Amino acid sequence: MKRAELDRAASEAADFVKGQFSATPRFALILGTGSNQLADAVSSETVIDYGEIPHFPRSTALGHRGRLVCGQLANQPIVVMQGRFHLYEGYPRERVTLPIDMLAQMGTEFLFVGNAAGGLNPAMATGDVMLIESHIDLMFRPPWAGDPGQAVPTSRRTDPYDPHLLASGLACGRHHDFPVHQGVYAAMLGPTYETRAEYRMLRRIGADVAGMSTVPEVNAATRHGMRVLGLSLITNVASPDAPQATSGEEVIEAARAGAPKLEAIVLDAIHRNS
Amino acid sequence: MLDLYDKIQDCVQSIKNHWDRQARAGIILGTGLGCLVEKIEVQATIEYGDIPHFPKSTAISHKGRLICGELRGIPVIAMEGRLHMYEGYSLKEITLPVRVMKAMGADLLVVSNACGGLNPYFALGDIMLIEDQINLMGDNPLIGINDDRLGPRFPDMCEPYSHELIEKALGVAREKDIVAHKGVFVAVSGPNLETRAEYRFLRTIGADVVGMSTVPEVIVAAHCGMQVVGFSIITDMCLPDALHPVNIDEIIQTANEAEPKLTELVLGVLPDENER
Repeated sequence: MKRAELDRAASEAADFVKGQFSATPRFALILGTGSNQLADAVSSETVIDYGEIPHFPRSTALGHRGRLVCGQLANQPIVVMQGRFHLYEGYPRERVTLPIDMLAQMGTEFLFVGNAAGGLNPAMATGDVMLIESHIDLMFRPPWAGDPGQAVPTSRRTDPYDPHLLASGLACGRHHDFPVHQGVYAAMLGPTYETRAEYRMLRRIGADVAGMSTVPEVNAATRHGMRVLGLSLITNVASPDAPQATSGEEVIEAARAGAPKLEAIVLDAIHRNS
Repeated sequence: MLDLYDKIQDCVQSIKNHWDRQARAGIILGTGLGCLVEKIEVQATIEYGDIPHFPKSTAISHKGRLICGELRGIPVIAMEGRLHMYEGYSLKEITLPVRVMKAMGADLLVVSNACGGLNPYFALGDIMLIEDQINLMGDNPLIGINDDRLGPRFPDMCEPYSHELIEKALGVAREKDIVAHKGVFVAVSGPNLETRAEYRFLRTIGADVVGMSTVPEVIVAAHCGMQVVGFSIITDMCLPDALHPVNIDEIIQTANEAEPKLTELVLGVLPDENER
């Protein structure tokens, strides 16, 4: 899709959603694998299946439902993406980030991006939360690959993650007495889980967790000037020297157990910025 | 993506017209496994061009055919002529033959390659059992909608190469006095060889050897639940601080000299006739 086509697609999608949810969602939340219960915290006014929204791809991923929950969280209008799109599903990067373009057109200023991630840092435990301080893009899928002239250079060289949201998220963990880490998210193309050798590589190059999402959306949000908080739920901790098999189902179960912590951090961030 | 299943069935049907047997193992005859063909009691030879959906061999510089027969009494399908990403094939095309081997009954995949040695303890002509891999090709053959009939959405990769077979091969190597290591293979897309800085980088991230093949096929083998044993022949040494320009004749000569050793190891790890 060309830039102009994409802008039009995003604005048609935004118009469709605004037709059913008239409030301006200053806040938006992308739920990661297994975090569906976070959507239950929203007093929802409208639920829209992705299939109904013009130009939206369908989510094919395990543990993802594929719908937009629009309503109020902490008395603030919010749009929650329950299900997201991944590069490993075969979508080009600009399709994966179409919902972010749509949210920007709807007036979103704060984006909370959740994900389930594999921990690499041995100080982390399954069920812990890590707030993303920075990321490493190893997805090998630059925006607008194969479509030269369409890339929009961003002027920001600084990290896309908002330091104030990060600091208050860490404080929230202390207040509620649960461990919150900060660290580096390595974005992999997937869909294979990493080999032991790949875990060792990621650790050596400075990553704390690895996942298959988030970075495309965060880059798009940054381009739109949104303030971003990235939340990784550690669903397993890789131990390359004592390997254990990982299954998609286990990841979902671990994510489910950690969801209340994410909820506390998100609620706190909304309170502070209302 | 969901048409892949039907394509595999088409291929199987076409192969069965020439060779109607259950395979035990699939073999990708990479560099260094040329001699192995001579050990196969050939029952059918099928040009890639005669199998539906197989990449056409016109673009391949060498032979492109499937050899079906018996190796040490075991029914095998061997690929003579492998496809590489740098030739412009998609990873799905490159890995289709592996899926077909599996559909023909093979639950073991044997792969070999020629590679550059990064680990300074390795020497020209040594053989390395691939213990693990790093995918730096920038692509993955499983991208797209997953067909659950072929394998899981998120395949686990904690043991892509069978530890049991690695130990078996190393045992055979000791017995026959063949130098064999085990280590990490990193795959890059190529086709250019790496710079000195890239060799340092690959060594830093934990690789022992580097090559331009194997990883896509092994990912698909893991996806469809095959056991894998992988052999690398170190055909040039990539020591960044003592790097020589590559001499292709030397590489080919090194690979040829290592062939008999590799053949011994492959014959040694194959399952026994009666074992299932």
